[in-house]
Amino acid sequence: MQLDTRKMLDRSFTASGVLAIALMTAALAILLAPMFARGIGAIFFTGTVEHRRLMLEKFERGDRSAIEAELAAAHTARAPVYQMVTEFEKQLETMPALERRKMMPSFKELKKALHSLLGPPPGTPRPMLMRDQFGQTRWDRAQVKLERVMYREEWDYSHPERGSVKIRKPRVEEFAGTSLVPLFPYLEKNLDRMLLPRKTVYWQFLTDESFDSHFFGGIWPELLGTFYLTIGAMLFAIPMGLIAAIYLTEYAPENPFVSFLRTCISTLAGVPSIVFGLFGLAFFINTLGVSQSKSVLVGAMTLALMILPTVIRASEEAILSVPRTYKEAALSLGAGRWHTVMTIILPAALPGILTGVVISMGRAAGETAPIIFTAAVSVGKPLALWQVFSHPTPALSWNIYNLATEHEAMDEIRHVQYGLVLVLVTLVLLLNLAAILMRARIAKRLRG
Amino acid sequence: MQHPGRKTDYRRYRLCSIEVIPLVGTVIGYPLRVTRITGNPFESLMVKSSLQSETAVAGHEGSSLLLSHRARRQQRLAGFLGSGFLLAVTSLSTFAVLFIFYFIIRDALPFFQLQGVKPFFTSTHWYPSAPTPEFGSLAIFIGSGLVTLGAALVAVPLGITAAVCLSDVLPFSVRQVVKPVIEILAAIPSVAYGFFALVIFAPLLQEQGGHILQVAGWVIGAPVALLTTVILSDLLTDRMSPGRRSRARWVLIAGLGTWAFWGLWKLGMSLGGITVSSGTNALNVSIILGIMALPTVVSVAEDAIQATGRELREGSYALGATRSETILRTILPAASSGIMAAVILGVMRAVGETMVVWMASGNAAQIPQPWYNMLQPVRTLTATIAGDMGEADQATGSARFHVLFAMALCLLLFSFFCNLASEWGVRRTRRKVGR
Repeated sequence: MQLDTRKMLDRSFTASGVLAIALMTAALAILLAPMFARGIGAIFFTGTVEHRRLMLEKFERGDRSAIEAELAAAHTARAPVYQMVTEFEKQLETMPALERRKMMPSFKELKKALHSLLGPPPGTPRPMLMRDQFGQTRWDRAQVKLERVMYREEWDYSHPERGSVKIRKPRVEEFAGTSLVPLFPYLEKNLDRMLLPRKTVYWQFLTDESFDSHFFGGIWPELLGTFYLTIGAMLFAIPMGLIAAIYLTEYAPENPFVSFLRTCISTLAGVPSIVFGLFGLAFFINTLGVSQSKSVLVGAMTLALMILPTVIRASEEAILSVPRTYKEAALSLGAGRWHTVMTIILPAALPGILTGVVISMGRAAGETAPIIFTAAVSVGKPLALWQVFSHPTPALSWNIYNLATEHEAMDEIRHVQYGLVLVLVTLVLLLNLAAILMRARIAKRLRG
Repeated sequence: MQHPGRKTDYRRYRLCSIEVIPLVGTVIGYPLRVTRITGNPFESLMVKSSLQSETAVAGHEGSSLLLSHRARRQQRLAGFLGSGFLLAVTSLSTFAVLFIFYFIIRDALPFFQLQGVKPFFTSTHWYPSAPTPEFGSLAIFIGSGLVTLGAALVAVPLGITAAVCLSDVLPFSVRQVVKPVIEILAAIPSVAYGFFALVIFAPLLQEQGGHILQVAGWVIGAPVALLTTVILSDLLTDRMSPGRRSRARWVLIAGLGTWAFWGLWKLGMSLGGITVSSGTNALNVSIILGIMALPTVVSVAEDAIQATGRELREGSYALGATRSETILRTILPAASSGIMAAVILGVMRAVGETMVVWMASGNAAQIPQPWYNMLQPVRTLTATIAGDMGEADQATGSARFHVLFAMALCLLLFSFFCNLASEWGVRRTRRKVGR
């Protein structure tokens, strides 16, 4: 090969390496950007007067007289809408039967869309479901709902080669020639007067219970559930992992049994997380009967088993990295082996052990598969401490799955889903950041 | 008892000079005080220190220390009990894996007794809730395999290149920035990856599928085509005389390059014409799983590459090799078993992952037509276990319940053997480079 080809190959090799790193970084950025950008919208958003009414009625938050004044203003702005609707209802009765039958379904649709935009019309009985009691609490959702009022969405299958195509039909055309025609331009023009949008900081998203299967409210039960599960898992995993690490580094002789133990640990590290879930179900619940059915305790035990290898390995590394001279000095002072471990080795290895513990904590907080069968439910009250032995709990990770795939109206609560993802990812990233900083400090100390 | 390696041989410290103790103690900050010397035949002395709150009894014989009989007995007993306790706890936590095997097998066996082994692995009829249920899982196994293959195609080239770059190319300061990126990629919970795949990536793929594939084809294809052209023309003109060689080379580069880019353009057009009928498919999951497996591949491969040491590199450079030649011809072959281990661990991560495939693979128990068609929905083992347990849970003891354990057993065995293989790989690399 010619020298310049070799040089070029060398450069392109470097370039491909840098490209791989750049791609990896780009993947991370692409992954995190939407989660942060949209997740923040769960807390900072443009809230409508309905949001403030909700806060007042459910939590007694806000200035009652001010909100009532706002509501009165909003109702005055909405009055013409309901007036037009009642007028049209009267008009409908005088229509010929055939035309009325044609008009009825689209009118019903319109009324439903109006209801979900503005809430129940004044003078009607209070609906049962909470999502029907309030109009749109968020301005971005209100825009979507306004779209539903203004247009009817239809699927066009007439061009089979292009598949199904979505088309929008203005509803004005359906009601052409009736008294409803002015309703549509009025709504479009005056929606902000009817809903009074205002920049809102809803930090209580983190500390509020959820209502009506996450249509309203916050994520406190999930946050608390994740907290219980993580702390519970660490309570099991840290002592066991630490003891195992001490034994393996300081006490264990080199014999086949101990190398078998090591193989067991690395096998445990490779077990798929869903298998841990099945094992938790088969062993802790069906065999041992730790609790009647799913509970936080069982979930924590399963998670602990999953992160145990990580804790053991991190602790082993940290203990092995303690300088040998420390041990020798302690032993020469007449300290026993156990004493050396407790007073010299563990304190010196503590930052390293903590790093491993914090990382595995992040893993326990984020893992979903092991808690599906052992601890997680979709909706629940925040648990008190004594309930963790017998009650299942909602958790951040599980509810992200649940709300994004199994919820009855997953499109309507995207902001809650993004909010959950943001909180979970932030939690895990903070834990990892702490670990990275701790490791940097250790490296600095070891360099001198 | 011999302690090889970094472990400390405690026996050596039993006899030591009495003067040394206070000296060393003061040096490392643990002041010692000799409190009492008793006049028994062993001439024991009591040493009290802040290090050891209880007094240690030691026999004084000349200038060295010996433990008295009673103290030695006590210490031995305590040591024996203590290490026994430690061993018990260690065994408890490590035998968990045996428990896992036992309980998964115990609940998997009834399925094979009820339904037989053969149809489970060879039939594609997956109708668990039919009046006469059928549990042919071939399509599910193939789904798992397809998704894993796709993930490996993403993670392995990218991961190994990144690992080489991290260990040999990038300067130290850049490495300090890139390492946290890998750690964060590894730390993001799988359900967040799944959410991304389902809510952001799937709609994008469904609406812009053709364009995305086209761009990806160009990004991957163009550099590969360029490099291949240059290398091929260089090799083809290798034996020509120096005068003619340079011109012939340029002609070949131009000719081959035009041909390659024409091919790429055709490929791009055909890729751009593809419509993706559903965004939740094997391709989506493969890409996301590939990104998830990346950190594992990168960190294990980097360790293996680092383990080869400086001598190999310096020897290669001394012979006049460029950096790429050193890495490709010397370092990578030396680290090959460790890199194999990295690949295996990455594959394990992809096979065992649940949430991403459950959320974004489409969950259709079918073999794609043709089998490599990544744009069709598939169903994997893990997603089946996670998804079907909800319905099978009430019917504990039925074949429907036990079939999930049979699948878990397959996963468990797969990961067990992968683990053994990867450990063997890591050990082999260490042995090969003599560390």
